[in-house]
Parts: sequence; C-alpha cells; structure tokens
Amino acid sequence: MEQDRPPPQVVGVTLCDSAPLLWRVQDLKEVRARGLVGGLVGSLPRTPRQNGRLGRPLLLLPEEERLLTELHAKANANQGAGGVQLRLQVQQHQEEQKRSFEEQKIIALQDRKSALLRAMTSSHTDSAASDESLRGRLEALDRSFTFPRSALAVQLSTSRAGLHHCSEDRAFLRAQQPITVQDDPRAAARYQVFGDLRGRGFYLTSAGKFGGDFLVYPGDPLRFHAHFIAVVLSLDLSLSPLDVLAVARLGSNVKKTVLLCSPGRGGGVLYTSLQWSGMV
Amino acid sequence: MADQNKTGTDAKFYNEILSPSELFAARSRSHKIPVRGQKDFFPDDSDEQRQRLEQSLTEHWSLISEERVEKLGNLVKATWVPSEKVVELQSPAGKFWQTMGFSAGGKQFLFPEEALYLMECGNVQVFYQELPLSIQDGYEKFLSSSTVRLQEYQVFGHLKRLGYVVLRFDPSSETSSYAKQLNLPQSHDRSGKQLKRKRSASPTTPSSHTEAQEESTADRMEEDTCSRESQEDKKYPESHRAISPKTSSTQTATASPEDGGGGTTWWMEDVVGERSDQQPASAASRWDFSSIFFPDLGASRELLSSCLASPHPSLLPGALAVGVCDVDPWRSRINLRDVKMSLKEQMREEEKRKRRSDINKNREVRNCRNWAEYRELMERREERRSKGRPAHLWDGEVTPLHDPRQPIPTGELLDKISVIKSTNLLEGASRLQASDEWRISFNVYQPDTVADFKKSNQGKPYARMCVCSFDGPVPDLRAIKQLAFRSGDVPVVFAVVDYGDISFYTFKDFQLPTDVFL
Repeated sequence: MEQDRPPPQVVGVTLCDSAPLLWRVQDLKEVRARGLVGGLVGSLPRTPRQNGRLGRPLLLLPEEERLLTELHAKANANQGAGGVQLRLQVQQHQEEQKRSFEEQKIIALQDRKSALLRAMTSSHTDSAASDESLRGRLEALDRSFTFPRSALAVQLSTSRAGLHHCSEDRAFLRAQQPITVQDDPRAAARYQVFGDLRGRGFYLTSAGKFGGDFLVYPGDPLRFHAHFIAVVLSLDLSLSPLDVLAVARLGSNVKKTVLLCSPGRGGGVLYTSLQWSGMV
Repeated sequence: MADQNKTGTDAKFYNEILSPSELFAARSRSHKIPVRGQKDFFPDDSDEQRQRLEQSLTEHWSLISEERVEKLGNLVKATWVPSEKVVELQSPAGKFWQTMGFSAGGKQFLFPEEALYLMECGNVQVFYQELPLSIQDGYEKFLSSSTVRLQEYQVFGHLKRLGYVVLRFDPSSETSSYAKQLNLPQSHDRSGKQLKRKRSASPTTPSSHTEAQEESTADRMEEDTCSRESQEDKKYPESHRAISPKTSSTQTATASPEDGGGGTTWWMEDVVGERSDQQPASAASRWDFSSIFFPDLGASRELLSSCLASPHPSLLPGALAVGVCDVDPWRSRINLRDVKMSLKEQMREEEKRKRRSDINKNREVRNCRNWAEYRELMERREERRSKGRPAHLWDGEVTPLHDPRQPIPTGELLDKISVIKSTNLLEGASRLQASDEWRISFNVYQPDTVADFKKSNQGKPYARMCVCSFDGPVPDLRAIKQLAFRSGDVPVVFAVVDYGDISFYTFKDFQLPTDVFL
C-alpha cells in the first residue's frame, strides 16, 4: 500500500566499505514508512556503552537496498565537500562556534539568575529588605559570572549532511537509475521472496541467528513478534528430509513457523510450511 | 541559523544541527532508555494497537534522532592522518588510554577503529583539515579493507560496549608455545619492531605494513620448518636454532679459537670482574657437555663465592642478557644437610644396585664360550618366553596388537588396540600452508572488572576473534586448524555478523571419553 503512493522523498544512501548505510533521521523515517526495517549498527548517543538499543547508522539488507533502487527512491550520497571552499568552511565553522559560545554564555547566566531567583523567592516571600539583597546578589552574579570555554557544549554530529560547513546541496538527492542488477541466482531468489512478502504487508529482517533468510513480522517489529522464518529455496532443488526436519524443529523451538519459499517463474512465490502433527 | 529556519521547508536536511539553546539544554538530558512494552501477537486494526505503535515509534525516533552533545572540556581533541591511517591526539588522553592507543615519536595515536568508537562514545572529537568530523565521516573515512572493515568494526564496537579490551591481532608478536614453555623473553627487536603497539618514528600504514611483515615471517617459518623433519625443531625460535648442534657442525670453521680445544669452562666459576675480557663467542660452537658445568650450589659451598658469574653468552639464546647471580638467598633455600640413610634404606639401595647388574655378571652368559653359544642361549630364552603363543599368529610379519600374557591396565589396553587413533585440532596444523581467506582480527581481554589489563604487559588474551558473515562459507577443518595453530592456547571465537546481529561461535576440540569398567 505504501508503495502505491508516489515517493515523497528520495532516500540518501551512503556506502561504507560497500555496505549501504542511512544516516539522516529523515531518511530512516522515510524507509521505515515504506515498511523497511534495516538494522541499527551504531552506538546510541544517550547511553553508548550497551548493546540493547543501538543507534544510527542504519544498515540496509541487500534486498532493501535493491527495492529502494528499483523504486527510484535511492540516491548515493557519498560525495564530500569540495576542496575549494575549505578555507571558507573553516572560517564559517569558527565563527559559528564563537557565536554559539556567546549565546551559551548568555543562556548560562540567565539560567543561574533564574535559579537564584527561585531559591530566594521560595525562602523569603515578603519584606523589601530581601528584595534589596536579591538585587545585590544578581548584580554580583553579573559581575562575577564567567563562562569558561571548556563549558561550551558542542555537538558531535551524527550525519554529515547535518554539518553546515559541508554545504552539500540537495542535487545529489536526485534519484538514480538502478545501477546493477545482480545476476546471482540466489540473490535473485531472495529478492523475489522479499518483494513478495513485503508486498503482502509483512515486515522483514535478517534471520541469520535462526538459520533462515528472513524473519517475517505481521506488523512493525517494534510492536510485534515474528511469526515466520522464511527459508528461500529454489523450486527444483531436491531436499533431504533431514534438512527439512532440522529447520522445522528449529522453528518450533523458537515458536515460529518455518516457511519454505520458492520463487515461481511468473514472479509469484510458492510457500510451504511444516507442522508437527501429533498422532495419538 | 539553524534554529530560525526550523519552520522553513529547506530546514529538513539541516535540522540535525542543534541551536545554542538546544546545546545548552542537552546538559540536563536523561540518560535512561525507555523500556519497551510487551509486544502484541497479531495486528487487529484496533485503535489501541495503533496508538501503542504510534507511541513506540515516537519513542524510537526521539531516541534515534538524539545528537551527541558534550562539553568542550570533556572532549579529547584529535586529528585524522589519512596517509598513516591513524588518529593523532592533540590534547591529553582520557581514561581510555589505559586500554587503547599507542605512542610513537613522542606522540599519541589511536587506531581508526578506536577513534571511531570513542567518537561514538562522545569522548573524542576528531578533526580533519581543521573541521570536525561527523560520525558518518568517521565511518566513511576510517573503515576500509586496509584498516578495519565495517563488519570487523561492528564486532569491535559490540565487544567494546560490553566492556572487553579489544586489540588488533598481530601474528608476529605471538610467541610460539615452545618459547612460552621456556619462558623466553620476547625477541621483538629481531625484526626491528618494538612492542606490539609501538611503532617506529615514521609509521607506515599500519595494516598493510604488518600484513606484509606477517606474510614474510610466515613464509620464512614455513620454509624453515619444511626443511626439518623432527617435531621439536619446528618450534625452535630462530635465535635458538642458530646454536643448535645441527647447524653448528657446518659452521665449525668460524668457531672462535677458544673452544677449539673443547675444554672451555662454560660456566665461569671465576670472580665477577673477569667477565668483561671474555669475548662473546660466536653463535656457532660445539656443545661439549663434558665441558659444560652447571654449578652445584649445594656441594661447592666453600668453593663458590657468594656471587655466581653469568653463563657463557654463547649458551644463551638470542637477546637474553643474564647478570651476576647472588646465590646466597638461593642457598639458604636448599636443604644442605647430608643424606643420612637408615639401615633399611641402605639395604634397599644395595638391592637396587644388584638388580641393575650388567649382562656379563649373569652365570649363564659367562658360561658361553663364543657368540654362537650366546645366540643359542638367547634363542632358548626367547623360546621359553614365547611358550603358549601360537606360532601362526606371532611368527608372521603381522602380529596381534597385544600379547594377552602381558598384563596391562584396561585403559591402556583399549588405547593399544584402537587402530584409528583420535586426533586433535592442532595435529599437523603447523604444516598447513597459510591462507588469506581466514584471519584473526582481534585479541580480546576480559573487562577491567574481571582482570587488570596493562597495555605494557597484556598477558594472555581471553579469546581471539575471527570475523565472518553468514554469506560466506563455514570454516573448514583446514581453516579451523590453521587458526587454532596461530592462536596457540587461546580459544578462537568466530564472530558471525548478520547485518545488525552478531553471533559468536567456537569450535572446540572434543575427546570422546573412554569408559573403563572394572
């Protein structure tokens, strides 16, 4: 359903060591809105030293990348800033940091004043004498207040597009034609299954740890458990019963149904699932 | 500028830059991670579900979109040196220096993966061409096949976030198990290389440099080992091999004149001062054991001075320097009393000596007048011994594995009759040709809380990491053997990266237990 509407926004994908990564929150949201989940691989800024919740960048599956490419919704955004403007950019960066320092200094002073004000007014509610002392204290604060440079809060930007000195225009966000069509039959089969399941509204993630190709979620993985483990097999592949039993046993152990997915010639996919039937 | 244009449509791409007021407000930001609620089983299109999803997504995006904000005073400043593929610190390092980084030429450096991890933790701000690098810049500039690949960095980051100390694996710095047994000092200077993470004043690209070196050392080792048959020789470090008798026999011509007579006192019993005029003998010298005297500290109590001179330099491997040894504290630790045996013990000793009688004392043997008679005697004895052994079984070329008249424990018997012996991972591993397909990426040490880690004395790693992915093949026995050999007695762990997920696997040697029932 999401695919039917015209792409409102082209997604900027950068390549890092040939892996497709997304950096801007806007792009992450856009991709999620298309039902693509990806995998977060960076440290979470809020609490970096844990593995439970990770942060940007978002790593795309090859199938997700290809789907975006075919929807003309992907653009490579690897270009860096031009060298000519470098001096200008450095200057700009320094000026902005200076301005940020001045502004933060003012804010910090205001912050201290209002804190003082709160403390004073809560203890002494009446009397003109306290008013007098308050004014005196505020003036003293004005005089003595220092804001050292080390207290300046700076941003360690996550995405480069967010960096003002890298004045990247949005020209690079033009959609590109699909560059390479993989001719690896295995990749092609995986993509066909991925596209079919996504088209049916399922959310997919990689299922390496479950011994399959994809984990299939009925809705957004944030709110739902995966129901199926999709295993992509070509139709003409003869399968040993032991292998079938092994994946089926694994699936039942993690309370998921194993889907054997075989792409057909017409673009459709044949799904087979296995269930233990207890005969008593 | 960023705060004003938030309302504008153009702001979309630039709203990830925080305004000064936002930067200031970030000081009092929460560091808690919202807890995820129970998931639903199936979407039912209900409003509650939609609401919960909405809330989860909002929470998710607010967490994901958060930017790193640090006080300038808490940030270590550093610059990216692309030609060397390292990051040079510009301000004093923080606590991370205990487990990361290296010094060279009076400067402090971080490897790209270390710098990137510290950028992600908000500890280090890296500049390039005087502009701060974003995390994205870090990923794109630092990670490559010539430094650390993205997948390797994912494993590195995962382990670092768990608290492990993770260092690059450098095969050339690993000592052989033989050297470890002997407790030899590590002879790094041999290749002109200092300790593992120290570098020369002009550091080259770390990875390619070490790789080339490792390759050549490996090759050299391989050649050397091929030319030698005996198992022990393989493990000799080069410095040691040089003075082994085998090679020395071909080099006697160059031997220094002093050991030509073969009567050198190897262990100098003379006083300390005279040591200096002993010229260090060349590495090639005969090992005449009759002339190598080991000091008997107990017996020569009166003869020896309290100081023991150092052994002859040619007896020592490679770079080992041994000073004068003060033997007094050692002597106080030995039992210097004379051995007093009881009568019973003396008799037992006597008995033992009798039993060890040589063949000529045997009466039957003495009665033999010539070789023929002796041979006859031996034959008679053999016949007596083999009585009860069917000749058709024992006289042929192929004989039973065990003579049933010889009693041995059941366990040993089982071992004796097992025709196909079980093997272990390291068997024959040293003979395998090195391949590039599989390599160890990192040494992993346990977190600070478990063990004290010192960069200068790293000790034995907890595990070694080999990074691979589900797209690649499963390591075959050859690869596993090779990696196990490289790793020595440290377990090799395979970190399998599946996009965002990482799973860890180990292949373990397994000995089937033998049950012996009595």
